Amino acid sequence: MNKLFIKIPAFLLITLVATSLSFGSVHANTYGNFPVTVKNYSGSKKDSTSYTGQMARHVLHNSLKKLTGKGNGKPNPELKAKMLSYYVGKDKGRKIIDPTTKDDFNIKQTMVDQISKGKNLKGKTYKGLVNGFPGQMTGPEVIEFMIDKASSTKGGFDPLTGYNYPQLLSKFMMGAVFYSQAVNNYLDEKLEADNKPNNKPYKKGKHYTGKEHVWDEAFGYFGAPAHAMQLSAKQAYGIAKKKDMKVADANGDGVVDLYTEMTFAHAYYAADSDKTGTKYMHTIVGAFIDGRKLISDAGGSALTDEQRMQLMGYAKTIKTNWEKVIAEAAFKYAGSCYKDLEKLRTIVESNGDASKAFAAYGKHWGEMKGFLMALETSGRDLGAAGVRMNRLVGYGPVLLGGGQVTGIDASGNLQTGGNRSMGEYQVHMIKLQKLLGDTFDLKARKNDATGQMDGLLKSLGTSRSAEND
Amino acid sequence: MIEQAEQLWLSEWLPAFFNPQKRIFWGYLLSSLLIALLWLRLVKKMNLRSSAIQIFNRHAWISRSALADYKVMIINTLLMLMLSPRLLAKATIAYLVFNGMHMLFDGRAFLSTDLPQWVIALGFTLFLFVLDDFARYWLHRWLHTVPILWSFHKVHHSATALNPFTVFRTHPVEAALFSVRSALVHGFTTALFFFFFGDQVTLMMVLGASIFTFSFNLLGANLRHSPVSIRYWDLLEYIIMSPAQHHIHHSTAKEHLNKNFGVVLSFWDWVFGSLRLSRAGEQLNFGLSGEQPRGQNSLKGLYIEPIHEAGVVFLRFFSNHLNFIKNNHII
Repeated sequence: MNKLFIKIPAFLLITLVATSLSFGSVHANTYGNFPVTVKNYSGSKKDSTSYTGQMARHVLHNSLKKLTGKGNGKPNPELKAKMLSYYVGKDKGRKIIDPTTKDDFNIKQTMVDQISKGKNLKGKTYKGLVNGFPGQMTGPEVIEFMIDKASSTKGGFDPLTGYNYPQLLSKFMMGAVFYSQAVNNYLDEKLEADNKPNNKPYKKGKHYTGKEHVWDEAFGYFGAPAHAMQLSAKQAYGIAKKKDMKVADANGDGVVDLYTEMTFAHAYYAADSDKTGTKYMHTIVGAFIDGRKLISDAGGSALTDEQRMQLMGYAKTIKTNWEKVIAEAAFKYAGSCYKDLEKLRTIVESNGDASKAFAAYGKHWGEMKGFLMALETSGRDLGAAGVRMNRLVGYGPVLLGGGQVTGIDASGNLQTGGNRSMGEYQVHMIKLQKLLGDTFDLKARKNDATGQMDGLLKSLGTSRSAEND
Repeated sequence: MIEQAEQLWLSEWLPAFFNPQKRIFWGYLLSSLLIALLWLRLVKKMNLRSSAIQIFNRHAWISRSALADYKVMIINTLLMLMLSPRLLAKATIAYLVFNGMHMLFDGRAFLSTDLPQWVIALGFTLFLFVLDDFARYWLHRWLHTVPILWSFHKVHHSATALNPFTVFRTHPVEAALFSVRSALVHGFTTALFFFFFGDQVTLMMVLGASIFTFSFNLLGANLRHSPVSIRYWDLLEYIIMSPAQHHIHHSTAKEHLNKNFGVVLSFWDWVFGSLRLSRAGEQLNFGLSGEQPRGQNSLKGLYIEPIHEAGVVFLRFFSNHLNFIKNNHII
């Protein structure tokens, strides 16, 4: 009897400890501190994690976005050259224009080189044709076209076309560089057995294997802080807004390290969606951590087919959810455009000053368009859905007079024309939201123009049963 | 097979008794029973035993006609499970109308939002109820007056005994028509109100059902098909359809033919000339007027015959027109 009294609690305690340990090991809590597994490595490094190049590119992108809004309305070769130095250049001495220290949000680095040297964005831009933009241009051509135009546009916003260059460029670039590189390269062909194998260092002398580094690079492009799993959506979002120093500074050294502690690009948009209850950020970062752990556990040997299949499973989770994050953002801004058109109509009808509301519309349109163009850079053919998206949105926002960008002439000027009503364009926004929602199975559905109507229809019940009167 | 039947029982048939959006919700059945009892006891001065005998008489509940009702109810649930996803959805109509309104008004035209929310909700709920009832009147009327539709609606009228489950005695083709009608009305009304009032629109509900559906059902809708003929005051019967008036609609008497098509409101019958008030002490027989076919309670009679008959009607119509075309040298 007495023995039982001891045995039962002991058994329960052991079970409890074992259970909590096994749950705890589902995810390591941060992305990082993975051991060096390269066989015969003789250096002193203890951590094989490395994605500095990607974080340097995030900083280049943020800085370029800032510059894109600096135009004064006249041709400005100096500004253009500076912008190109952040896009094409690999020069030393480039300052971080964004993110920079704000109030008590102290940022560790002030120069791009402090994160990684000799990096540019152009070399990593999607090389295919971008159907959503006029002119039949490749990814780098589109961005250089935008840089050229933005450099001579006041504040980056051109009221004649409705183009907001900082938004268009930034949202497209996040796709054409970060998303495209990750899902169309690192999580795609680089996961093949003979491409960057795990039983060899990534490059001679490196302390990480081929597969370890490939995986790290993909993670870096997502833009999440290494401790994202410990953060709520609101917290991760707040870091990008430079709001919560305590939460950002994971290692407590008093500064925010842009390499590991900042939220960038799509991780920020994942967090934005997740504030409404989705779990994109944790699903994606969780899959990245699980995948990286699987590679580490291989101990520097080539991955077996079974291990690679499992890794591809994680990659699929990442790709699918990443795509949803972008589609959710496009959905949200399509809803913003719908609302903007409503506001514009009211202002125009009362003969008010529409310039502010028009600028807001251009901004939201630029975000939506940029995200839609980004969706086409994954290497996955969106088929009919892609065509419909482009046709619904067109090359530019419908302007107050009914015109819209229709193309680019021989001298590289944007042309406008046509006569589409704003009411019709609102319908296009509704249709776009429906298309995005159905194609990508979206859940956050922010700014859903017809969400309440769907709810109302549901409240009316079904007419499924066969009833007479 | 048994497992699937069990699943259906649990997922489709049984929940109908617990769903206040359905007419056979237990609460409505109970309220109908109480109303019937009160009517028989207080108005008809019958004792409790006689009242119970009238309500639960064998003919109404376990005659061949009644058993056919139950059979149809079960089979139709299965058919509608397959059919309903292929029918016009109210969401499709709603999107079509909502988008069309943008074109019509060149954008979204919000109406004054100063109105209290309950006014808008009441407006929506009332509009939906009235339009729904109006549309039901006309579809029902056409089911009687258009020969090809009557071939299908006959199934409902071939019931010679009425109980609350007779409401399910419907040919699937007719069920599909009801579903499309409902989609049109619900889709249109929802889009119309949402377009003008946006998020302020809600359905006024009690227990998850519209207040009007709830009231109609609570106040004895099940007695429309029942052995208890409750009459209203004459004046009220011009506006609201009494169970007795619906019994007249099911009557085999020639003079009752094509009367009282309305569901909740008899007002439509009054306006469009098909109203017949009930009369005290009127004895009615239920069924098809003068053409009660044999085997109307068999599966063949309930499902196949109507299709065959509709085919005959169609061919006759077609050949008549063909003759007309030939005789007049149109082609």
